[in-house]
Amino acid sequence: MSHPLPPAVADTPLGRYYAATKPREGERETRDLGVLDALTIRRYALTVGARDPIHHDAGAARAAGYADVVAPPNLLAAIFEWGAGTPEDELAPDGTPRAAADDPGAGLRGMGAGEEMELLAPVVAGTRVLCDEILDAVVYKDTRGGPCVFVTALHVFRTPDGTVLNRNRRTVVRRNPHEEP
Amino acid sequence: MTAALPAPGAELPPLRHAATRLQLFRYSAVTWNPHRIHFEEEYARSEGHAGTLVHSHLRAALALRCVAEGLPGWTIAEVKYRVRRPVVPGTELVYGARVREAAGDAAVLELTETHPGGEVGLAGTVTVRRAGREADR
Repeated sequence: MSHPLPPAVADTPLGRYYAATKPREGERETRDLGVLDALTIRRYALTVGARDPIHHDAGAARAAGYADVVAPPNLLAAIFEWGAGTPEDELAPDGTPRAAADDPGAGLRGMGAGEEMELLAPVVAGTRVLCDEILDAVVYKDTRGGPCVFVTALHVFRTPDGTVLNRNRRTVVRRNPHEEP
Repeated sequence: MTAALPAPGAELPPLRHAATRLQLFRYSAVTWNPHRIHFEEEYARSEGHAGTLVHSHLRAALALRCVAEGLPGWTIAEVKYRVRRPVVPGTELVYGARVREAAGDAAVLELTETHPGGEVGLAGTVTVRRAGREADR
C-alpha cells in the first residue's frame, strides 16, 4: 500500500499504526451504550462544577421543562468507556483500551486535539443511548513536535427511535512512544 | 430568567479555575477514563509531559460553563474547539467568551482558555440559542 509517510517514519509504531488504520477510513460501528442514569449526570456536573439545579434536582429540571435531570453539554462526548469497561490486562501501556492483542497502535501516545459538537436535543436521565461511530479521517502530519497521526471520528449519539442527541467529530493526535509532546 | 443577549464585542464574565489533582481523579472516575497521563505523575512525565494533564474534555466543560453561567436561559447548540497546549493541575486558567455575532434568537461567541503567561491553551466558538422547553421541541 502506498502512503505519504517518510521511510524513516513508516517503520515505526506510528507508521505501522497509520498503515493499519488509514484503510479503515469510512468504517462504521454502532454500539448500544445503555441507559444514562441520573447519578452519572449528577456526578459529572459536580466534578466540572456545574451548579445549575437542572443537573442535580429532578424537580428543578421538571420545572424547567425537562423530564429529568439534564446532562451538562459535553457529558456524552466525555464518557471514555461505557458499561463495565476494559479488563486491566487488555489495556495498552498508557492505560487506554487496546482494540486487540496485536493492535499496532499499542505503545503509541494519544491526546485529545479538538472537537466539534452539535447538541441537538437535551440529554436527560433515563435516556437509552446508541452511538454510531464512523472513522472519518486518518491524516499523517510532520509537526514541530515530530511525526503525528491525527485520527478524526464522528460519533452520532442517538436514541433507539432515531432522535439524534449529539453529533460529535473528535480528533485525537497519536505519536510514537519516543516523541516529546 | 433568560439573560439579554450582549452586543457583539461584549465579553461574558470570565470563569477562573485551577484544576486540582483531586478533580482530575474524579473526572477520570466519572468518565471511566483509564488513561494514565491524567492520574499517574510518573507515567505522565515518562511521556515527556510536565506532569499529569488536565483532560481536554474537562477543559471544554469549564469553557462551556463560562457560557452557560454567563447566559442563563440560553442553550448551547454547537461547539468547536482546538486544544493548542497541555495543562497541568494547579495552573490558573481563565475561560472567556466574547460575542462575535448576534441576531434574533442566536449568537456566536469566541471561546478562549488563557494561561498565566497569556498563552491561549484552547480556542473555539460556541453557538447559543434562546432556550426552549423540552416539551416544546
